[in-house]
Amino acid sequence: MEKENLQQENEEMKKIISAKSELLSLSAHQLRTSLSALKWTFKMFLDGDVGELAPEQQALIKKASDSNERMIALVSDILTLNKTDAGTLPYHIEEFNIVSLIDETLFEFIGESYKRGIEIIFLKPDSPIPNISADREKIRVVFENIIENALKYSSKGDKIFISINIRDAEVEIAVKDNGIGIKEDEASKIFTKFFRTSEAEQKDTVGTGLGLFTTKNIVEHHNGKIWFESVSNNGSTFFVTLPIKHNG
Amino acid sequence: MKKILIIEDDSFLQGLESTKLKKEGYETIAVSHKDEILKAIDTENADVILLDLMLPEIDGFDVLKKIRENLKFVKTPVVVFSNLSEDKDIDKAKALGANEFMVKASFTLDELVEKIKALLAAQTTSEDQP
Repeated sequence: MEKENLQQENEEMKKIISAKSELLSLSAHQLRTSLSALKWTFKMFLDGDVGELAPEQQALIKKASDSNERMIALVSDILTLNKTDAGTLPYHIEEFNIVSLIDETLFEFIGESYKRGIEIIFLKPDSPIPNISADREKIRVVFENIIENALKYSSKGDKIFISINIRDAEVEIAVKDNGIGIKEDEASKIFTKFFRTSEAEQKDTVGTGLGLFTTKNIVEHHNGKIWFESVSNNGSTFFVTLPIKHNG
Repeated sequence: MKKILIIEDDSFLQGLESTKLKKEGYETIAVSHKDEILKAIDTENADVILLDLMLPEIDGFDVLKKIRENLKFVKTPVVVFSNLSEDKDIDKAKALGANEFMVKASFTLDELVEKIKALLAAQTTSEDQP
Protein backbone atom coordinates (compact mmCIF):
# COMPACT_ATOMS: atom_id res chain seq x y z
CA MET A 1 0.00 0.00 0.00
CA GLU A 2 2.80 2.35 1.01
CA LYS A 3 4.66 1.50 -2.19
CA GLU A 4 1.54 2.31 -4.23
CA ASN A 5 1.20 5.67 -2.47
CA LEU A 6 4.83 6.45 -3.13
CA GLN A 7 4.43 5.56 -6.80
CA GLN A 8 1.36 7.78 -7.03
CA GLU A 9 3.20 10.66 -5.36
CA ASN A 10 6.09 10.13 -7.72
CA GLU A 11 3.76 10.32 -10.72
CA GLU A 12 2.16 13.50 -9.34
CA MET A 13 5.59 15.02 -8.81
CA LYS A 14 6.61 14.18 -12.37
CA LYS A 15 3.46 15.89 -13.67
CA ILE A 16 4.18 19.02 -11.59
CA ILE A 17 7.79 19.14 -12.81
CA SER A 18 6.68 18.69 -16.41
CA ALA A 19 4.02 21.44 -16.05
CA LYS A 20 6.60 23.76 -14.45
CA SER A 21 9.01 23.10 -17.29
CA GLU A 22 6.29 23.74 -19.90
CA LEU A 23 5.27 26.98 -18.16
CA LEU A 24 8.88 28.15 -18.07
CA SER A 25 9.31 27.37 -21.76
CA LEU A 26 6.15 29.33 -22.66
CA SER A 27 7.13 32.28 -20.44
CA ALA A 28 10.58 32.32 -22.04
CA HIS A 29 8.93 32.38 -25.45
CA GLN A 30 6.79 35.38 -24.53
CA LEU A 31 9.74 37.19 -22.96
CA ARG A 32 11.90 36.54 -25.99
CA THR A 33 9.25 37.97 -28.33
CA SER A 34 9.48 41.35 -26.61
CA LEU A 35 13.26 41.11 -26.31
CA SER A 36 13.55 40.33 -30.05
CA ALA A 37 11.51 43.43 -30.86
CA LEU A 38 13.86 45.53 -28.73
CA LYS A 39 16.98 43.85 -30.17
CA TRP A 40 15.99 44.58 -33.76
CA THR A 41 14.84 48.13 -32.98
CA PHE A 42 18.09 49.00 -31.15
CA LYS A 43 20.04 47.55 -34.09
CA MET A 44 18.13 49.80 -36.51
CA PHE A 45 18.98 52.84 -34.40
CA LEU A 46 22.65 51.84 -34.05
CA ASP A 47 22.97 51.14 -37.79
CA GLY A 48 21.51 54.55 -38.62
CA ASP A 49 18.51 53.00 -40.41
CA VAL A 50 16.19 55.57 -38.86
CA GLY A 51 18.51 58.56 -39.10
CA GLU A 52 21.87 59.52 -37.64
CA LEU A 53 22.15 59.64 -33.87
CA ALA A 54 24.11 62.20 -31.88
CA PRO A 55 27.09 60.57 -30.05
CA GLU A 56 25.30 60.85 -26.70
CA GLN A 57 22.17 59.18 -28.13
CA GLN A 58 24.30 56.48 -29.75
CA ALA A 59 26.01 55.73 -26.41
CA LEU A 60 22.68 55.51 -24.59
CA ILE A 61 21.11 53.20 -27.18
CA LYS A 62 24.26 51.02 -27.07
CA LYS A 63 23.86 50.68 -23.29
CA ALA A 64 20.18 49.80 -23.67
CA SER A 65 21.07 47.27 -26.37
CA ASP A 66 23.76 45.66 -24.15
CA SER A 67 21.28 45.44 -21.31
CA ASN A 68 18.75 43.80 -23.63
CA GLU A 69 21.38 41.27 -24.80
CA ARG A 70 22.02 40.45 -21.14
CA MET A 71 18.32 39.69 -20.68
CA ILE A 72 18.31 37.48 -23.79
CA ALA A 73 21.32 35.56 -22.46
CA LEU A 74 19.65 35.24 -19.06
CA VAL A 75 16.51 33.73 -20.60
CA SER A 76 18.64 31.22 -22.55
CA ASP A 77 20.67 30.31 -19.47
CA ILE A 78 17.54 29.84 -17.37
CA LEU A 79 16.14 27.52 -20.06
CA THR A 80 19.40 25.52 -20.10
CA LEU A 81 19.40 25.41 -16.32
CA ASN A 82 15.82 24.15 -16.36
CA LYS A 83 16.87 21.39 -18.75
CA THR A 84 19.95 20.43 -16.77
CA ASP A 85 18.91 20.91 -13.13
CA ALA A 86 19.43 17.55 -11.46
CA GLY A 87 16.26 15.57 -11.18
CA THR A 88 13.99 17.73 -13.31
CA LEU A 89 14.34 16.18 -16.73
CA PRO A 90 15.70 12.80 -17.67
CA TYR A 91 19.26 12.47 -18.89
CA HIS A 92 19.53 10.53 -22.15
CA ILE A 93 22.55 8.32 -21.63
CA GLU A 94 24.20 7.01 -24.79
CA GLU A 95 27.65 5.84 -25.85
CA PHE A 96 29.65 8.34 -27.86
CA ASN A 97 33.13 9.42 -28.80
CA ILE A 98 34.25 12.37 -26.67
CA VAL A 99 36.98 13.39 -29.14
CA SER A 100 34.38 13.81 -31.92
CA LEU A 101 32.12 15.76 -29.59
CA ILE A 102 34.95 18.18 -28.70
CA ASP A 103 35.78 18.51 -32.42
CA GLU A 104 32.14 19.42 -33.15
CA THR A 105 32.09 21.90 -30.27
CA LEU A 106 35.31 23.54 -31.48
CA PHE A 107 33.77 23.93 -34.92
CA GLU A 108 31.17 26.28 -33.36
CA PHE A 109 33.98 28.58 -32.19
CA ILE A 110 36.06 28.76 -35.40
CA GLY A 111 34.55 32.10 -36.47
CA GLU A 112 34.85 33.75 -33.07
CA SER A 113 38.44 32.57 -32.44
CA TYR A 114 39.55 33.65 -35.94
CA LYS A 115 37.92 37.06 -35.52
CA ARG A 116 39.61 37.56 -32.14
CA GLY A 117 43.01 36.23 -33.27
CA ILE A 118 43.05 33.46 -30.67
CA GLU A 119 44.30 29.99 -31.60
CA ILE A 120 42.58 26.90 -30.20
CA ILE A 121 44.76 23.79 -30.24
CA PHE A 122 43.22 20.38 -29.57
CA LEU A 123 45.99 17.97 -28.54
CA LYS A 124 44.42 14.68 -29.51
CA PRO A 125 45.61 11.49 -27.81
CA ASP A 126 47.90 9.12 -29.72
CA SER A 127 45.88 6.05 -28.83
CA PRO A 128 42.10 5.81 -29.28
CA ILE A 129 39.91 6.95 -26.40
CA PRO A 130 37.09 4.54 -25.51
CA ASN A 131 33.52 5.71 -25.99
CA ILE A 132 31.95 7.17 -22.87
CA SER A 133 28.37 6.72 -21.63
CA ALA A 134 26.77 10.08 -20.90
CA ASP A 135 24.17 12.56 -22.11
CA ARG A 136 25.87 13.79 -25.29
CA GLU A 137 23.99 17.08 -25.64
CA LYS A 138 24.48 18.04 -22.00
CA ILE A 139 28.20 17.23 -22.16
CA ARG A 140 28.33 19.47 -25.24
CA VAL A 141 26.93 22.32 -23.07
CA VAL A 142 29.78 21.65 -20.58
CA PHE A 143 32.50 22.15 -23.21
CA GLU A 144 30.68 25.03 -24.90
CA ASN A 145 30.63 26.89 -21.57
CA ILE A 146 34.27 26.18 -20.69
CA ILE A 147 35.65 27.01 -24.14
CA GLU A 148 33.44 30.10 -24.41
CA ASN A 149 34.86 31.35 -21.09
CA ALA A 150 38.44 30.61 -22.16
CA LEU A 151 37.86 32.65 -25.34
CA LYS A 152 36.08 35.44 -23.53
CA TYR A 153 38.98 36.10 -21.18
CA SER A 154 41.80 35.65 -23.71
CA SER A 155 43.27 38.36 -25.90
CA LYS A 156 44.59 38.58 -29.44
CA GLY A 157 47.60 36.28 -29.92
CA ASP A 158 46.68 34.04 -26.97
CA LYS A 159 46.40 30.28 -27.32
CA ILE A 160 43.94 27.82 -25.81
CA PHE A 161 45.03 24.20 -25.41
CA ILE A 162 42.62 21.30 -25.01
CA SER A 163 43.99 17.93 -23.97
CA ILE A 164 42.39 14.62 -23.15
CA ASN A 165 43.70 11.67 -21.10
CA ILE A 166 42.49 8.42 -19.64
CA ARG A 167 42.91 8.06 -15.87
CA ASP A 168 41.78 4.63 -14.62
CA ALA A 169 38.06 4.37 -15.44
CA GLU A 170 37.72 8.06 -16.19
CA VAL A 171 38.42 10.41 -19.02
CA GLU A 172 40.03 13.72 -18.07
CA ILE A 173 39.77 16.78 -20.28
CA ALA A 174 41.76 19.95 -19.63
CA VAL A 175 41.13 23.35 -21.21
CA LYS A 176 44.08 25.68 -20.65
CA ASP A 177 44.15 29.36 -21.54
CA ASN A 178 46.69 32.09 -20.90
CA GLY A 179 44.07 34.77 -20.36
CA ILE A 180 43.40 37.02 -17.39
CA GLY A 181 43.06 34.21 -14.83
CA ILE A 182 40.87 34.18 -11.72
CA LYS A 183 41.58 36.30 -8.64
CA GLU A 184 42.33 34.33 -5.48
CA ASP A 185 39.51 35.91 -3.45
CA GLU A 186 36.97 35.04 -6.16
CA ALA A 187 38.10 31.47 -6.84
CA SER A 188 35.81 29.81 -4.29
CA LYS A 189 32.69 31.44 -5.79
CA ILE A 190 33.30 30.56 -9.45
CA PHE A 191 30.73 27.74 -9.58
CA THR A 192 28.08 29.60 -7.57
CA LYS A 193 24.75 30.48 -9.17
CA PHE A 194 24.68 34.05 -10.60
CA PHE A 195 28.27 34.77 -9.51
CA ARG A 196 30.27 36.98 -11.88
CA THR A 197 33.91 37.88 -11.35
CA SER A 198 34.88 41.55 -11.19
CA GLU A 199 36.68 41.09 -14.55
CA ALA A 200 33.52 39.58 -16.05
CA GLU A 201 31.46 42.54 -14.82
CA GLN A 202 33.87 44.90 -16.58
CA LYS A 203 34.59 43.00 -19.79
CA ASP A 204 31.52 40.94 -20.56
CA THR A 205 28.23 42.74 -20.78
CA VAL A 206 26.21 39.66 -21.74
CA GLY A 207 27.17 36.98 -19.17
CA THR A 208 24.68 35.94 -16.53
CA GLY A 209 26.72 33.98 -14.00
CA LEU A 210 24.85 30.76 -14.75
CA GLY A 211 27.27 29.12 -17.19
CA LEU A 212 29.73 27.49 -14.78
CA PHE A 213 26.98 26.72 -12.26
CA THR A 214 25.12 24.78 -14.97
CA THR A 215 28.37 23.16 -16.12
CA LYS A 216 29.17 21.87 -12.63
CA ASN A 217 25.61 20.64 -12.25
CA ILE A 218 25.85 18.57 -15.43
CA VAL A 219 29.30 17.16 -14.65
CA GLU A 220 28.29 16.12 -11.13
CA HIS A 221 25.07 14.58 -12.40
CA HIS A 222 27.34 12.24 -14.38
CA ASN A 223 29.36 11.52 -11.21
CA GLY A 224 32.23 13.46 -12.71
CA LYS A 225 34.37 16.23 -11.26
CA ILE A 226 35.20 19.75 -12.35
CA TRP A 227 37.88 22.05 -10.89
CA PHE A 228 40.38 24.63 -12.02
CA GLU A 229 43.88 25.92 -11.42
CA SER A 230 44.48 29.59 -12.02
CA VAL A 231 46.96 32.37 -11.44
CA SER A 232 45.64 35.92 -11.61
CA ASN A 233 46.76 37.51 -14.90
CA ASN A 234 48.42 34.25 -15.94
CA GLY A 235 45.68 32.00 -17.29
CA SER A 236 43.42 29.23 -16.05
CA THR A 237 43.09 25.52 -16.67
CA PHE A 238 39.71 23.90 -16.22
CA PHE A 239 39.66 20.13 -15.68
CA VAL A 240 36.68 17.84 -16.19
CA THR A 241 36.65 14.15 -15.41
CA LEU A 242 33.84 11.87 -16.51
CA PRO A 243 33.43 8.16 -15.79
CA ILE A 244 33.76 6.08 -18.96
CA LYS A 245 30.87 3.87 -17.88
CA HIS A 246 27.79 5.73 -16.68
CA ASN A 247 27.11 4.99 -13.02
CA GLY A 248 24.55 7.66 -12.16
CA MET B 1 11.70 40.10 -57.61
CA LYS B 2 11.82 37.22 -55.12
CA LYS B 3 8.79 36.91 -52.90
CA ILE B 4 8.84 36.09 -49.17
CA LEU B 5 5.76 34.87 -47.36
CA ILE B 6 5.93 35.99 -43.72
CA ILE B 7 3.75 34.07 -41.26
CA GLU B 8 4.05 36.00 -37.99
CA ASP B 9 1.34 36.97 -35.52
CA ASP B 10 3.17 39.70 -33.59
CA SER B 11 2.35 42.82 -35.58
CA PHE B 12 5.42 44.76 -34.42
CA LEU B 13 7.84 41.96 -35.32
CA GLN B 14 5.97 41.40 -38.59
CA GLY B 15 6.38 45.10 -39.43
CA LEU B 16 10.13 45.04 -38.69
CA GLU B 17 10.64 41.85 -40.74
CA SER B 18 8.64 43.23 -43.72
CA THR B 19 10.42 46.58 -43.66
CA LYS B 20 13.85 44.95 -43.57
CA LEU B 21 13.10 42.47 -46.35
CA LYS B 22 11.52 45.14 -48.59
CA LYS B 23 14.57 47.32 -48.06
CA GLU B 24 16.71 44.38 -49.22
CA GLY B 25 14.71 44.22 -52.45
CA TYR B 26 12.25 41.43 -51.71
CA GLU B 27 8.51 41.46 -52.23
CA THR B 28 6.71 40.44 -49.04
CA ILE B 29 3.29 39.13 -48.09
CA ALA B 30 2.62 39.04 -44.36
CA VAL B 31 -0.16 37.05 -42.69
CA SER B 32 -0.98 36.38 -39.06
CA HIS B 33 -4.43 34.82 -38.55
CA LYS B 34 -5.52 31.27 -39.25
CA ASP B 35 -7.81 32.05 -42.20
CA GLU B 36 -5.37 34.33 -43.98
CA ILE B 37 -2.48 31.89 -43.36
CA LEU B 38 -4.44 29.01 -44.93
CA LYS B 39 -5.64 31.24 -47.78
CA ALA B 40 -2.07 32.40 -48.47
CA ILE B 41 -0.81 28.80 -48.61
CA ASP B 42 -3.53 27.99 -51.16
CA THR B 43 -3.42 31.07 -53.34
CA GLU B 44 0.00 32.72 -53.06
CA ASN B 45 3.36 31.80 -54.49
CA ALA B 46 6.56 32.42 -52.58
CA ASP B 47 10.29 31.81 -53.04
CA VAL B 48 10.94 31.56 -49.29
CA ILE B 49 8.55 31.12 -46.37
CA LEU B 50 9.29 32.60 -42.97
CA LEU B 51 7.29 30.78 -40.33
CA ASP B 52 6.59 31.58 -36.68
CA LEU B 53 5.46 28.59 -34.59
CA MET B 54 3.36 30.07 -31.79
CA LEU B 55 0.33 31.35 -33.68
CA PRO B 56 -3.23 32.08 -32.55
CA GLU B 57 -5.93 29.53 -33.46
CA ILE B 58 -3.52 27.31 -35.37
CA ASP B 59 -0.34 25.44 -34.46
CA GLY B 60 2.75 26.50 -36.43
CA PHE B 61 3.74 22.85 -36.89
CA ASP B 62 0.36 22.18 -38.56
CA VAL B 63 1.00 25.15 -40.84
CA LEU B 64 4.39 23.68 -41.76
CA LYS B 65 2.72 20.34 -42.52
CA LYS B 66 0.17 22.08 -44.78
CA ILE B 67 2.94 23.97 -46.56
CA ARG B 68 4.82 20.76 -47.34
CA GLU B 69 1.60 18.98 -48.41
CA ASN B 70 1.02 21.66 -51.04
CA LEU B 71 2.78 20.56 -54.24
CA LYS B 72 3.86 24.08 -55.22
CA PHE B 73 5.77 24.44 -51.94
CA VAL B 74 7.48 21.04 -51.87
CA LYS B 75 10.90 22.56 -52.61
CA THR B 76 10.35 26.07 -51.25
CA PRO B 77 12.82 26.88 -48.46
CA VAL B 78 11.04 27.30 -45.12
CA VAL B 79 12.81 29.18 -42.35
CA VAL B 80 11.23 28.60 -38.98
CA PHE B 81 11.73 31.90 -37.17
CA SER B 82 10.51 31.37 -33.65
CA ASN B 83 11.40 31.96 -30.05
CA LEU B 84 10.85 28.34 -29.16
CA SER B 85 14.22 26.64 -28.80
CA GLU B 86 13.70 23.26 -27.17
CA ASP B 87 15.43 20.37 -28.93
CA LYS B 88 12.06 18.68 -29.39
CA ASP B 89 10.70 21.74 -31.26
CA ILE B 90 13.77 21.92 -33.50
CA ASP B 91 13.63 18.17 -34.23
CA LYS B 92 9.89 18.31 -34.97
CA ALA B 93 10.26 21.29 -37.32
CA LYS B 94 13.14 19.63 -39.17
CA ALA B 95 11.20 16.34 -39.43
CA LEU B 96 8.25 18.23 -40.93
CA GLY B 97 10.49 19.76 -43.58
CA ALA B 98 11.85 23.07 -42.24
CA ASN B 99 15.15 23.99 -43.91
CA GLU B 100 16.35 26.23 -41.08
CA PHE B 101 15.38 26.88 -37.47
CA MET B 102 16.36 30.31 -36.19
CA VAL B 103 15.65 31.60 -32.68
CA LYS B 104 14.52 35.20 -33.13
CA ALA B 105 16.14 36.52 -29.97
CA SER B 106 19.51 35.07 -31.03
CA PHE B 107 19.64 36.57 -34.52
CA THR B 108 19.54 40.02 -36.05
CA LEU B 109 17.45 40.77 -39.12
CA ASP B 110 20.70 41.16 -41.10
CA GLU B 111 21.54 37.56 -40.24
CA LEU B 112 18.05 36.50 -41.33
CA VAL B 113 18.56 38.23 -44.68
CA GLU B 114 21.92 36.46 -45.11
CA LYS B 115 20.24 33.11 -44.43
CA ILE B 116 17.48 33.85 -46.98
CA LYS B 117 20.09 34.87 -49.58
CA ALA B 118 22.04 31.65 -48.98
CA LEU B 119 18.91 29.50 -49.29
CA LEU B 120 17.91 31.20 -52.55
CA ALA B 121 21.46 30.84 -53.92
CA ALA B 122 21.55 27.12 -53.00
CA GLN B 123 18.19 26.64 -54.68
CA THR B 124 19.41 28.32 -57.89
CA THR B 125 22.52 26.13 -57.90
CA SER B 126 20.53 22.92 -57.47
CA GLU B 127 18.08 23.99 -60.23
CA ASP B 128 21.02 24.64 -62.57
CA GLN B 129 22.31 21.11 -62.16
CA PRO B 130 21.19 18.65 -64.83
